[in-house]
Amino acid sequence: MPRDSSAASQDAVLMVLIDRVGHHDEAALRQLYDISAPRMLGVAMRIVRQREWAEDALQESFLTIWRIAGDYREALSPPLAWMGLIVRSRCLDLLRKRASGRDPQTQALDESTADTLQSGCADPMDAADASEQARALHRCLAQLDQRQREVVSLAYLRELTHSELAAQMALPLGTVKTWIRAAMDKLRTCMKQTA
Amino acid sequence: MNPSANPRLLDLLAASHALGTMHGAARRRFEALAREQPEVRAAALVWQARLAGISELQPAIAPDPAVWVRIQNLVDAEQRRQHPAPGRRGWLRSLALWRSVAAAGVFAAVLAAGAGLHLYQELRDAPAIRYVAVLADDKAAAAMLVTFDPKNRQLLLQRIGGFREAQNKSLQLWALPPGGAAPRSLGVIDSGPAIRLTALESQLRAVPALAVSLEPKGGVPGEGGPTGPVLFKGALIERSP
Repeated sequence: MPRDSSAASQDAVLMVLIDRVGHHDEAALRQLYDISAPRMLGVAMRIVRQREWAEDALQESFLTIWRIAGDYREALSPPLAWMGLIVRSRCLDLLRKRASGRDPQTQALDESTADTLQSGCADPMDAADASEQARALHRCLAQLDQRQREVVSLAYLRELTHSELAAQMALPLGTVKTWIRAAMDKLRTCMKQTA
Repeated sequence: MNPSANPRLLDLLAASHALGTMHGAARRRFEALAREQPEVRAAALVWQARLAGISELQPAIAPDPAVWVRIQNLVDAEQRRQHPAPGRRGWLRSLALWRSVAAAGVFAAVLAAGAGLHLYQELRDAPAIRYVAVLADDKAAAAMLVTFDPKNRQLLLQRIGGFREAQNKSLQLWALPPGGAAPRSLGVIDSGPAIRLTALESQLRAVPALAVSLEPKGGVPGEGGPTGPVLFKGALIERSP
């Protein structure tokens, strides 16, 4: 399979930067931020749905990266995926904290989820500078219908159970289960071919 | 329950685990199994690898400049305290699996399962890259990636922002030497998305930063330094030995 050299070299740059951040190099942290913060803020917005919270989560994520970048070599995942897991985790922490504080906005947040149904998945441009693995996923997600794609993305980004997804998306539980099952089956077949 | 005896069930469980729809006791049971059984660990890792890309596929949004200032202040404060707090481990739950898999030597099984991880192995082993730089514009938006491979004496530049110079202009790359000495030209950047320039390591050694200026078509002679505005710059980062 022809490799997209630009994505490969971006991964190589990110790996060097994360390595240097692991040695507490602030200039490297700055560059890592310049290159990846917009993408990571996009992830955070998708999860917390509110600009101020998303930026708080982004800040916490980069502090976490600063502290644990030295462990990255063991993670064996592409750099943006590794950072994405950190962002997801910080966002979920933040949502849990707000939920336990009975913040009335949490309810509004859940109610606003339905509009993500219209947002669809990332457009093709968004996959252009992604890792090879993410582009393979993008090709496979494109084969799902939009509702299946959305339910998979939301389940993953927000770590929701089937019933939470059903509640948030105002769908019957059985439908959510069927969609996820069908989507994962298709993804498995498709990603096996791509790999 | 022994999912390793039932590949289809195992696959389904690993998918739910990676997707995050498996919660609570079921999740804890699955992770306990994954610690004991290499097949379960491998299946979990394969699905984590498949889905991790979702976070790369979300639309990019430029953060407010204040976010970086806050991060920098917090990092500075932590540096001053001289004993950085250890990272909290809770979120590592999913990464812990990656790690135990690597430690248990199941990585080969995962590669065989075709998770596409061979690319990263390759990247990890291959790079002769010794220096990198992310050149950003005055709004801190990344515009160009630079890598230097000393073995092949090759500087590779890659445009990542939307900037395109006018037809009658050229971009020129400069090394900014320490102590405020005059910038030294590293070459003129053509209009392609990926540009290769030949350079010696001695031209980059001890150079703290690189910059790109906007010059008349074809660039300017190196001795006089840039004549046009500096559009992008960034620190030159040397890889750890």
